Amino acid sequence: MSWEPLILTFKLALVTTLILFVVSLPLAHWLAYSKSRIKPVIETLVSMPLVLPPTVLGFYFLIAFSPNNSFGEWLQEVVGVQLVFSFPGLVLASLIYSLPFMVHPIQSGLAGVPGSLRDAAFVMGKSRFQTLIKVLLPTIKPSLLTGLVLSFAHTVGEFGVVLMIGGNIPGKTKVASIAIYDEVEALNYGTANFYSLILFGCTFFILLMVYLINGGYLKKLGR
Amino acid sequence: MMQIRIQKNLEGPSGPMLLDLDLNIEKGQFLTLYGPSGAGKTSTLQMISGLMRPDHGTIYFDGQPWVDISKNIHIKPQLRKVGYVFQDYALFPNMTVKQNLVFALSKNSSSKSIMDIMDIMEIGNLQSRKPDTLSGGQRQRVAIARALVQQPQLLLLDEPFAALDLKIRLRLQDYLGEVHRTYGLTTILISHDIGEIHKLSNRVVSLEQGKIAKQGTPSEVFVGHNLSGKFKFKGEVLHIEKNEVVYIVSVLIHNEVVKVIAQGSEIENLEIGDAVMVASKAFNPIIYKIQ
Amino acid sequence: MNRLRGTISNIEVNGNLSLVTVHLQPPLTLKTIVVETPKTAAYLQIENEIDLLFKETEVVLGTAESPNISLQNRISGTIREVEQGQLLSKVLLETKWGGISSIISSNAVRQLGLSKGMNATAFIKLNEIMLSNT
Repeated sequence: MSWEPLILTFKLALVTTLILFVVSLPLAHWLAYSKSRIKPVIETLVSMPLVLPPTVLGFYFLIAFSPNNSFGEWLQEVVGVQLVFSFPGLVLASLIYSLPFMVHPIQSGLAGVPGSLRDAAFVMGKSRFQTLIKVLLPTIKPSLLTGLVLSFAHTVGEFGVVLMIGGNIPGKTKVASIAIYDEVEALNYGTANFYSLILFGCTFFILLMVYLINGGYLKKLGR
Repeated sequence: MMQIRIQKNLEGPSGPMLLDLDLNIEKGQFLTLYGPSGAGKTSTLQMISGLMRPDHGTIYFDGQPWVDISKNIHIKPQLRKVGYVFQDYALFPNMTVKQNLVFALSKNSSSKSIMDIMDIMEIGNLQSRKPDTLSGGQRQRVAIARALVQQPQLLLLDEPFAALDLKIRLRLQDYLGEVHRTYGLTTILISHDIGEIHKLSNRVVSLEQGKIAKQGTPSEVFVGHNLSGKFKFKGEVLHIEKNEVVYIVSVLIHNEVVKVIAQGSEIENLEIGDAVMVASKAFNPIIYKIQ
Repeated sequence: MNRLRGTISNIEVNGNLSLVTVHLQPPLTLKTIVVETPKTAAYLQIENEIDLLFKETEVVLGTAESPNISLQNRISGTIREVEQGQLLSKVLLETKWGGISSIISSNAVRQLGLSKGMNATAFIKLNEIMLSNT
């Protein structure tokens, strides 16, 4: 029994969520307001991880990043990163895998903001960026929170894609979900239960907080 | 001051519609756009403010080209410095009243004007409240105040008082008339309220299906619109009842029911649901102020 | 609604108001004041034929032909019918210019002793007559 898989899991989830947030803001903003003809294609691509088996994603990552082919070789030789069976590889795979969980809440949050708020900021001389930061994001705080938490929780819960691209290297890529599988295989039910219980408790608590905050229950308690 | 010649294909309520306008607006004018919904009034404001791009045409403001599609000129709304009051107020929900006003302030202007404007609109006591705690009338005052903070030369208002009850509407009309004069604004208002139009504007442009149907002073445009001095209303017969030697006819006018005494010969071919004109000489009605 | 037809013989304008004199045949002059002027209403032209409209409830009845009262629109005739209600009564007057109905209180009918065949005069206030050119 060791804390290592759990710490690795939360480290992966945290890094993934933070990078996703930065990447998803412009993407969701574009999806919410663009009238471009390629928008349906981009929307489809963003949503693909929702329906695709994680193993499919993992398989293609494995093929693409393997040092046995030219792209993977180039990455390793020139850029100096090995993406297969490494933590950066896990992060990259998780980014793709959890992308819709960050983009969708933000996109629908933005789409739900009355157009007049944006128009009002524009006629006041505010740029798109200022409008996003000062008006739109504060207005869709619940959507942001939902996006952050869902991405985090979803990354915590991923298994297939991690197994395919990360393998099972203790301290590097052996996250909690894989550790649980390992322990069950080895019939160590006690250890499996330890990891499972902690994941269960943590995810329950995180999601509960989202519903409490977005439902305004905490404010009511404060009064 | 402003020359508008624009064309834009729009989706009207009854299919595609061409909005085709040719308007000259003088400085200091208070102009009202009037017409059925879907006639292109809001689109007109959006194209003047730069929020919508016309298909063809030009807009010149004080000799400056804001729009000249043939030369590919379309100045961004950010640079036009137009005050715009939206139908749904568009107050930023994450900011207090004061923060809403400060946000509208351009970079190098002083915040002193905010105090003056809050005084005029009487919203000083609301300054630390969030918009969702305000009543409709209060929100609308904040929205107008916020548009004024920008110190615009041109103020656009999209049916600002439509959702408010009569008493508050009348008071806000006074505020609007006052700021129009105080700040020497050129104002374009969208309104359906003929009383409001008479009270505030000195020019009315009536739009129908994207075209100017009529324009002129309110009295010129609304002649025959039951305001020519006669006491005359269209209504619908709700009920006819004989009472001794006369008949009492109940007529629905707008959403009020009035009763009219009539003779047998007058109701002979009158049925429930008929459209009727109720008229009296201007001498008979009694008028008094509603408190 | 009572309706008589005549010809406009004079229009006196002051501001938004016009005092219109209408001649009827056989000779009778009726006057009305309206919030219109020849500029705002095309039908206000001398020699124009016009209908005079006035409500039955605005017709005052008298048995003397020229009492000392301010009402100058006076039309004399004979009572053809009295239709009595509890509070109100309708009196039909036959005149040389047409029938005129009046609705007055039943009490007044009794006090004046109005009945079929009697001579009576209808009085209409200046501001109660509407003009119509149809």
